[in-house]
Parts: sequence; structure tokens; C-alpha cells
Amino acid sequence: MHRYELAVLKAVESRSATIEEIAEKAGISMDAVLWAVEGLKKEGLVEVTKVESEKAEISSEGARYTSEGLPEERLLGRIVSSKVKVGSLNDEERIGLQWAKKKGYLTIESGVLKITAKGKDAGKMKDPDREALESLKENGGEIAELGKGSEQQISNLKARKLISVKKKEIVAEVSITGKGLKKLKETGEDESIRSLDKGMITKGTWKGRKFSEYDVEVDVDREEVAVRHPLRNLMNEIRAAYLGLGFSEVSGPIIEPAFRVFDALFMPQDHPARDVQDTFYLKHPSSIPIADKEYMERVKKEHTSAWKQEWSEAEAERAVLRTHATSVSGRYVNEVAKGLKNGKDYQFPLKLFSIGRVFRNENIDYKHLTDYYNIDGIIIGKRLMLSHLFSTMIDFFGAMGIEVKFKPAYFPFVEPGVEMYGYSEVANEWIEIGGSGILRSQVTGIDRKSVNVLAWGIGMERILLMKKGNIESITELYGNSIGWLRKARL
Amino acid sequence: MPKITLDKKYLMGLVGKVSEKKLTEQLNKLGMEVEELGTESIMLEVSANRPDLLGAVGVARAVKNYMHRSERFRYDKEMEESGTSVSVGRKVGKVYPFISAIIARGDSIGNDALKDIIDFTEKLTATYGRERRRLAIGLHDLKAVKLPLYYDAYKDSEFVPLNEKKDMKYSEILEKLDIGIAYSSIIENGRNGYPALRDSEGTMALIPVINSERTKVSPETSEIFVDMTGTSKYLVEKAADLIAAMFMDLEWKVEKVGIVYGERIETFPKMEKKELYIPLLDIEEELGVKLGFNNALSLANKMGYDAAYIEGKVRFIVPQYRLDIIDWQDVMEDMAIAYGYDYIAPLVVPAVGMGKIEERSVRFEKLSGIMVGMGFSESMNSYLTNESYNFDNMLVKKRTDYVKLKDPKASSLTMMRTWLLPSLLRCIGLSVHEKMPQRLFELDMAFRVESEKPVEEYHIAAVETDSKANFNKIKAVVESIAYMLGLKFEIKKLEHESFIPGRCAGIYMNGANIGFFGELHPQVMSNFGVEEPSVAAEIVLGS
Repeated sequence: MHRYELAVLKAVESRSATIEEIAEKAGISMDAVLWAVEGLKKEGLVEVTKVESEKAEISSEGARYTSEGLPEERLLGRIVSSKVKVGSLNDEERIGLQWAKKKGYLTIESGVLKITAKGKDAGKMKDPDREALESLKENGGEIAELGKGSEQQISNLKARKLISVKKKEIVAEVSITGKGLKKLKETGEDESIRSLDKGMITKGTWKGRKFSEYDVEVDVDREEVAVRHPLRNLMNEIRAAYLGLGFSEVSGPIIEPAFRVFDALFMPQDHPARDVQDTFYLKHPSSIPIADKEYMERVKKEHTSAWKQEWSEAEAERAVLRTHATSVSGRYVNEVAKGLKNGKDYQFPLKLFSIGRVFRNENIDYKHLTDYYNIDGIIIGKRLMLSHLFSTMIDFFGAMGIEVKFKPAYFPFVEPGVEMYGYSEVANEWIEIGGSGILRSQVTGIDRKSVNVLAWGIGMERILLMKKGNIESITELYGNSIGWLRKARL
Repeated sequence: MPKITLDKKYLMGLVGKVSEKKLTEQLNKLGMEVEELGTESIMLEVSANRPDLLGAVGVARAVKNYMHRSERFRYDKEMEESGTSVSVGRKVGKVYPFISAIIARGDSIGNDALKDIIDFTEKLTATYGRERRRLAIGLHDLKAVKLPLYYDAYKDSEFVPLNEKKDMKYSEILEKLDIGIAYSSIIENGRNGYPALRDSEGTMALIPVINSERTKVSPETSEIFVDMTGTSKYLVEKAADLIAAMFMDLEWKVEKVGIVYGERIETFPKMEKKELYIPLLDIEEELGVKLGFNNALSLANKMGYDAAYIEGKVRFIVPQYRLDIIDWQDVMEDMAIAYGYDYIAPLVVPAVGMGKIEERSVRFEKLSGIMVGMGFSESMNSYLTNESYNFDNMLVKKRTDYVKLKDPKASSLTMMRTWLLPSLLRCIGLSVHEKMPQRLFELDMAFRVESEKPVEEYHIAAVETDSKANFNKIKAVVESIAYMLGLKFEIKKLEHESFIPGRCAGIYMNGANIGFFGELHPQVMSNFGVEEPSVAAEIVLGS
């Protein structure tokens, strides 16, 4: 007995069930169940009871076939009497060929149609499809009156558009017969091994026995895989790339005084980027005191001298959600500046990177988010130049599989400033992916001729969008429905 | 970065003898991205720190310099005093204190130049002038002006504003005209008087809002009076230089105007130059190229500097229209741009020692691996949320120790999340049609406020939704985490509003509560649109 037949028998052992129920219980496809039920029914092991009837309407083509016979029947007739080549068939005969092959009535051997044993038997009587078609014509399309076992014919006729079925669902219940129950019991003692168990392996009882064969081409449902988030995968890829270039990971606070995010980076207090339109300020806590007064005084001096305007401590103490992760770089640079002042010895160049969440005050829609990731990096060293910056960026993006190019740009905290573009094969264009440059001495507080700092900030989501064509919008990334995660494959 | 749209024909005429292709190429090299090239217009993205590039005259000047075509010393010409002055009253000091002015004379200005100048001043006052909060600029037909001139804060009065037909009161302008409504807040609706520029005939301008129809400049105008006003003394002074340089580029003659503060007189434009000396070696080391002084001087000239070689140093004279040059670092950027970023060859930074991942990242990666191993998929969510998600939906009482946002654009985002479970339940709620069981985890940050200071902490949370989900299942997950990490968790009964009473436990380590788990309350599930039984856990991992 076939594995499917056995599975179906077991599934209806205790109570009758519909095809669907059996499929679920036995863990095999509906087609497999139908196929197995068909076989079991022939052997009288199960019975099928139809619950609902359906009405068939015969098409004009169908009506014609009831008198002329099906194309495959006519084709069989022709083969019996003469040698027929595939090339000689007309359109209708080709349809016949298709179905005759499907039904196992004939095969093709070097372009010549050969009738099979099954075909010879079939030739002796009316084709079941045609019989069904004729019955339907006689009984006015009452599918139920065809009796059990006509499902295959109905489905064939439907597929061939010879009939159309008005009511769609067939609910058929399969129940086991006495003979079926007996068979099930016997099969338990069958010789061939269906599923291997512990006893067989440890006691070696499998020896000398045959294994029943499976249909290895049967469709199965995929495993539901538990996955990491695509952004996290990318983050780890980025970490690996930086590590390869000798960088160490650092991090810093999300909630900062405006001082760390703007003032320390030489952004004037009336800079448009500091506007509430772009930046999230906090209602609670509304301000964060600047602990390092010496640092603050230096920054204040730089601002008033360069920007020719008053500098307000209260403004600098306003609490914000960082709008970029360069604030982290700023913290480390300041630490080194202090260390240098206190005579600490550093092994330059220091290479640091951070990956962190940043925020923009946006209306959320399919294109805009409030949360983003920034990848920031700095190299603190002696006599670093644009050449070094370009080389580092080429290597980093190279590791990510992205070609990069550089253009002049203005950011208050760097001079020279560089805008970076990456080539997106998905979009087939150059896309802005970040800003970089050499930090101004106003930011570092270190004489640039002794030690200077290369710095850059990259939008992480941009990298993902550039590399992967199957993301429609950036907001998908934070949607996180299980279905999306399961299918994202990023 | 500001975008400007210029008349293409006008710009090309100013540059002179240049093809469209060549122009685009030069602009790109200068860092002015050509965003759109139409049949009549050209749209450029210019650097936010270069107010001199906000109009066609400045752009043409930069291109001509770059092509070595410009006369660099024209701004140094001796300037005549116009004999005209503006008397500044004492009341305006509190409102919109500073003023400078210049007079320019030439042939009739013409349509193209006039439109460009007006666009330029609008753009300048909008960007650099921070929507006129710091700087406003007005142009007047000098022939229509009846000297002498006064600038002060006045009581409500009337005049015919630009493009209007009837007299309007200052207060009426601020209330009724769009432009008045837009800028009224800068002068506090006239609370401390209305700043106005007046001649002997009446109001020339309600500042910083609108000029008078009477002194309107037309394409035929050949004598123009320009006033720069604002709250930034520096900007008001430098804007006079900028405008003066622009008229000089148009071959107009610029004359000085005196600003009289009682006894004291200041004249504009000042046209003061900044000089910077940079050792050639420093330039070469910054660019990473052995330039030689001839090349260095040529690069400096390309960017509009008057450069000379003096005892091993390059002397840069910064042109008067450059507001952005703070020190030598800015000059260095110009030299790099002149040299061309494309020609700077990459050079590897030598490595010292190995890179290292943060210890925390290593730990969290391990924990995430354990979660995935137990069949939980990772979810990443916004840190921002609102009270109804964070508290109400979870049936927990609103606390006060959380981080609140000020003026969020999206009304649904009012706070930073204090825990992760609401984020996960939102995801599960979006997944009702997906196959069961559904298992999600998140390992990320949550926020709170402690003694007025923000606290940022990492949490891990997990949810399992399935018809068979039960308390023991999530307890097994929690125990497995402890086991795999080699930690000792104590599990004790805990009451938590989000969970079914009697089916929730607290997780304790060294006596301190660090988390909880259990079967979620059915009301919580229905609040999030979750339709199957769910169990959940959340543990605080610390900062």
C-alpha cells in the first residue's frame, strides 16, 4: 500500500473526515489525498459520501463531443489502425494527444504515437470522461446523480472547459469500511519498513528488510524559519567591515543636551537643522545640564567669535533626541583632546565607529520615519588628509559591495566637507549616502597641525535600500509583521 | 542645502562665451550640483554657507574665477561718498536695531537683472537672514526718494505698500497682507513701535515687511538705494558688501551711504578685506600633493582669492563677498575644491592594533542567537510611541517618570517607550493572518526618567502567540535564557495588570526585580487586535 493511502486510512480510522481534514491530519496535500482516496475506494477500503450536489452546464464543444466522441478516443481509434506521427496531428488531435498521454493511453516513441496496454483496454469501452459528459447531458447537469467516483471526470471536464460547474464546492466525506479497518490492521504487520524507529536501529531489526519508497517529488510546506531582523543582519555586516579595517566599536547616549548634538559640532544656535521642525526636543526632561564647564566655555568662545552672535547656555542645555550619531564621535574626540592636554600618550591613529539610532521630527508615512540608523566613524591621527578619508571610505563601502564617489559639500563641523554618493545597481543611479570631512579645530579643540580627525556619517537604511531591490519603502523595515519578516529574505 | 533657480540665458550671458556643457561641468566642480537644466532655467543646489552664490551674478562670478576669466580686484576700487545719510532714531534699537545702506548707479537695470537681484535678496534673507529674523533687504528707486532719510520705530502710520493701490496702516498691513502676517512676529506686531525707513515724503518701507509703491524699482530704474536692516550687526554690514560687489559685477558704480547714530557716523559698504597667511607646506600636506607655489597661487585665483607668495607662505586676500571664511581651514577647503576631489588619490591609513567590537554587542549577539534558536524572530521597532500604546493598551497605570516629546509632528508620537512588549504586540496584531505559532523577540532600548535625568536601558522581550501557548511555555523560555547565559533567576509570584491574575511571575536576581513573564490578559490582546492566546516576557538587561 502506498504511503499516502496508508496515511489516509489512518486519518479516517476513528471517524469520517472531509478531504481537507484528511490533508491536514495526515500532513499531505489535497491532491495526494484525492489520489489516495481514489485508490482506496476502488479496493473498497473507504467510502465517499457527497454532501452537496453541483450543477454542470455543458459547453458547445462538450455537446459536440457527446456525439462525436472525445478527441483522445478518436485519436486512439486512429492509432489502432495506422502509424501516426506527432507532426501529422491537427489542432484537435493535439488536444486528444495531451489527454491520452495524461490518462496513460499512449506514449510517444521517436515521434510516433504508441498505444499502451491501458490504452488498449480503454479502447474497448467508452472513455469515463465521455460517459460522464453524456450522463450530464441526459440528466440535465446533475453532478450528484453520477454517483461516487466521478470527481476525476468532473474535474477533467471542467479543466477542458467542456462543462462549467455552477455551485463550486464539493464537500465529500470519506469513511473507512470494515475491509479498510482490517487492511489497516494487517498493514501494521507488513514486511517493508515505512518509518524507521529507535528500536529498529538499536536492535538492528531493519536488517534484511526492505524500505517502502516515497514519492520524493511531492510538494511540502516550507519550514517557518525564525530570523534575525534585516537591519540587524546589515549591522553585523557593517561591524565586520569596520573590524576588518581595524576600527573599534563605541556608543553614546540617544538623549543629549543640544550642546553635544549641535553646539559642540559648531552648529550655530540659529542653524535651521536645530529647528523644532526637524529635531525632537523633550518636554520631560526639558534640559540636561552640561557638566563639563571647561568644554562648554571653549565651545562658547568658538561660537561667539565665528558666528558673531550671542551664545545661550540655556539653548545648549535643551534636551534633544540626537539627530545624528556624530555626537558620539564628538564625545570621543573631546576625550582625546583632554587626554592630550594632560600629557596622555596615544597610539595614533585611533579608529572608532558607532552604529546608533537617530531621530527626525517627521510625519510618519510610507516614505518617512522618525527613527533611523547612522553609521559614524572617526580616525584620530597625525597629518590625516582627504586622501586618507577617501581611501577609508572606498575600503569600507567596497567591503559592503558599493562603489563610492566624493563631492564638495558644506557641514559646519568639517572643513573640507565631502558628500558621498554610492552607486545603486538597483536604482541604476548615484545616491547620496553620507557626509564626511576633516573636523574643524573648533570642534576638536586640538591644533589641527599636530592631530586631526577624519569623520563621517552614513545613513544605514540607505545602504540597505541600495543593495536590496525587494524593499519598496523604508517604512517596511519597521513594520515587522511576522509575514514580512518571514518573507523578507534580506 | 538651498536650491536656486536662475534664468539660464542671463547666467550664460554673465559668464560669457560658455557652452551649456562646459557651464554644467564647471558648476559641478565647484560643488554646485545642477539639479535641473530646462530650456530657460537652471536649478542649482548651492552650499548653505555661501550666500554669495544665491543669485546669478555670484554664480557667474564663481564660474568666471574658476575659468580664470575674472577681474579679481574690481571690488577694491576707490568708492565715492554719495553724501546721502540715514539718521537712526533711538527707539528702533529695541526692535530691529541695525541698518546699512548703499547707492548704486548705472544704466537702466533691465528685466533680467532686476528679477535676479530681487530673487537673490529674497533667498538671502530667507536662508542666511533666517526668514528675515536676522536680516532684511530693500531696494528703492533713488529718483523717487526725497532726502533726508530716517530709520526708527514709529507709531502706527500709513502709506501705500508695494503693489497696492490705497494707503494702509502699518497695523493693517501686519494683519491683512500675507506678507505682513508672515513677518509680524519678528517685530512683535509693533508692540515697541513699527520699524520704518522714511524720507521727507513719508514711509519708504515698513521693515522687515514691505516697501512702498512710491519708491518701487522698475526695469528702467538707473539709480538704486539699497537698505540692509536686521538684528545681526555683522550680517547687516556684510550684506552691504555682498550687494555692493554684485552691483560692481554688473558694471554699476557703487557709492557710500552714511548711517548717523546721533554724533557717530558709520559708512557702508565697508568692503573690508581679510588676509590669511598659510605656509605652502601646510597646503601641500592637507591636499597630499606637492603643488609648488605657482600651482598654489593658480588654485587660489580659481576660487577668487587674490594670492601672493610671501616668504614660504601663501597670502590669501579673502574677497569681500565671502561671508563664510572663518579661518585658514575654510581656505583649505577651497584649495581642495580648486584642485578637484576627483584628483585626490586615496592613501591608506596605517593600522595600529586590532579593531574590537563592544563587549555589549558580543553579549547581545549571543542572547539573540539563543532567542532565534528557540524559534523567535527578531523585531525592530521605533523607540517612539504614545501613552495609549505604552500604558492604556497594556492596562497599566500611567506613570510620570517617562520621557515626553515636545511638539512632535506626528500626533501619535508623544513619548519614548518605557518597555518593549507593546511594540511586539503591535507587530503580532498586524500578523493575525499569518501561520501560528508566532514568536517574536526584541532586544533594544527603553527609556525612563530618574531624578530628572534620562535613563537609557536595554531590555529583551519575547511574545509567543499560539492556540497552545501557556504559562509553562514562556517559563521554559525564561529558564532557558538564564541557563544559556549562566545566570541564576529566582521566580516569584507577581501581580501585573497586563497579565491574567495568578498567571504572572516576577524574575529576580540578587533580590532585585529585573523582569516578568506570564499569560497576557485577554483584554490586552484584544486592545492590540491579537486573536490567539499569548504569553510574554520582558527582562531589563541594563545600560
